Amino acid sequence: MTKRGNIQIAVYAFVCLVILLLPFVLGNDYLLNRIARYLVLGLLAMSLSLCWGYAGILNLGQALSFGIGSYCMAMTLKLRTVPVQTGAGGLPDFMVWNNVETLPWLWVPFHSTTFALLAGIGVPVLLAALLGWFMFKGRVTGVYVAIITLAALVVGNLLVIDAQAYTGGFNGLTDLAQLELFGITFDAYGRSTYYLCAICLTFSLFAALALTRSKTGLILQAVRDQENRVRYFGYDVAHYKSFALCVSAGFAGLAGMLYTVVMEFASPTFMGVPLSLSVVVWCAVGGRSSLLGATLGAIIVAGMQNVLSEQRAFLETWTLIMGAIFVLVVLFLPKGLAGLSEAIAGRLDRSRPSALVSDAVTVEKNIALPEVRR
Amino acid sequence: MDFVAQQLLTGLSIGSILLLIALGLAIIYGTMGVINLAHGEFVMLGAYAAWALQSFAGIGLLPSLPLIFIIVAAFGWGIERLVIRHLYRRPLDTILATWGIGVMLQQIVRLLAGGELRYVQLPPSLSRPVTIFGQEIASFRVFIFFGVAALFALTWLLINRTSQGMRLRAVVQDPAIASCFGINADRVYAVTFAYGAGLAGLAGALVAPLKSVSPEMGTTYVVDAFMVVVVGGVQSLFGAVVSAALLGEASGVLGFLSNDTVAKAAVLLAVVVLIRFRPQGLFAARGRA
Repeated sequence: MTKRGNIQIAVYAFVCLVILLLPFVLGNDYLLNRIARYLVLGLLAMSLSLCWGYAGILNLGQALSFGIGSYCMAMTLKLRTVPVQTGAGGLPDFMVWNNVETLPWLWVPFHSTTFALLAGIGVPVLLAALLGWFMFKGRVTGVYVAIITLAALVVGNLLVIDAQAYTGGFNGLTDLAQLELFGITFDAYGRSTYYLCAICLTFSLFAALALTRSKTGLILQAVRDQENRVRYFGYDVAHYKSFALCVSAGFAGLAGMLYTVVMEFASPTFMGVPLSLSVVVWCAVGGRSSLLGATLGAIIVAGMQNVLSEQRAFLETWTLIMGAIFVLVVLFLPKGLAGLSEAIAGRLDRSRPSALVSDAVTVEKNIALPEVRR
Repeated sequence: MDFVAQQLLTGLSIGSILLLIALGLAIIYGTMGVINLAHGEFVMLGAYAAWALQSFAGIGLLPSLPLIFIIVAAFGWGIERLVIRHLYRRPLDTILATWGIGVMLQQIVRLLAGGELRYVQLPPSLSRPVTIFGQEIASFRVFIFFGVAALFALTWLLINRTSQGMRLRAVVQDPAIASCFGINADRVYAVTFAYGAGLAGLAGALVAPLKSVSPEMGTTYVVDAFMVVVVGGVQSLFGAVVSAALLGEASGVLGFLSNDTVAKAAVLLAVVVLIRFRPQGLFAARGRA
């Protein structure tokens, strides 16, 4: 186990190193911005993998945390723009168009960047804590968790679009200033932003990895496999599940903030149902129970989507191809690409007994599932 | 009084369409535990079938209904055989797989029929308004209301009064024991899925003249229909009727009191709270939990 663990750390470190060294090879700033975007989406996928793959909570509303993070960052950056049209006290332009006279109280604290950074992570965590307490105390499980989180996402999205005077409605928040931290200005097309994303991703990957290897992480995986047995051992399952949901929401909020910096705007599509389901797709393709697998899944799939949709030949068929790949992955590779690479590694090293153990666990899970269905 | 009647009729009209779409979903989810996110796309296929039959073959909406049912049901049967069949042991994965299928169907239709909006004409015999309780209402909406009632009655009879329905109920209770008694569970699942898909197709065909037909039309329906099923209780057909009426009236009334967005958000929140306290739905079938 320790040998396997060391290999895992080495693989994670290698991938992070590649990501961090990439700017030395790539001179193209535009491409760098693109890749920074994929890295952020990778971070988002990792956050879902943490609660879906490790705690068994299929959160279909992961984009809600992402969107809130994104809006928090956009709000503070919006207040720093050198505006073309503003009202009294640097009122954002869209508020002027919507006849808002004074800055709404919700916006006032966002004059401070520190507050915005804290809110971008804190608000999603608080919301997740509330949702987790609400769901898991009532022992809502399985499919119903998926429905509730999806409904929460739709409600959030509707409210943001509806409150046009305060959120910019469909248009979102555009014309943002550049983020300045510790005297560094983060230009979306500069290396600084790329490094910001890469370092955040590296840090988050290792923090999440540490969490999954801690005792708490072990209990979460036990909850995923046999919730009732863990309960009989005397653990407060609701507590652990809420915790997983919160941590995952925090990482998603961080990803959302970075996304605003990279994309230079925030939009209601960042907390839309299509994005949220895409995150699930990325995780499934990469391997839901592997943090690195989910991250790479997001980078690969989102990258492929972008490349394919730009080619003339695939302009109209790429969604078709993506859909087909996805269905095939769900059918034949339930553990995703990470599972595939593990299986290949297992073939190469037949003597390793742990492969047998993990097979046994899968079999037991398959038997236990019909019970969950009821 | 006029106002109340108007609201009531609007709510009933929304509710009957909701029920029509939810009925197929309720059968598939309630009996097989499969969350079919491609259900909205089956609705969309039905609408496109109605459009294609009308504009290429010149068949009016009413005569083409049986044909549409068969086409979409056959489609559903194929999907069940190819994909869903492999996922009965992994119910959460059906969400993912059916979502992928939905994306593909949307794109296929977009490639074949074009992304622009299509329109289906009302049957001429049903285009005049009728007066109920002193309120004028489109006769096609009344037709949908009674059509849904008939389809519901038919479905209930099929499940509760035929041998095929009995096999289905046996398989739902215990697939293994049912198989021991010589019931081909595989086939029962396939037929059920096809029937649910066919109902969705009919729903699409009936909704088509009221709204424009587009490849994305299904996505808006599937969430609402799912809420109907969850609120009604998974294995209760009558629960679906009551919850469709309830949700229809609720969105009608709330939509009048505030705007549509807030109405939708409020209804969703109410559903979330309901799931938390009664995950079995308002009208859960009694018996083994």
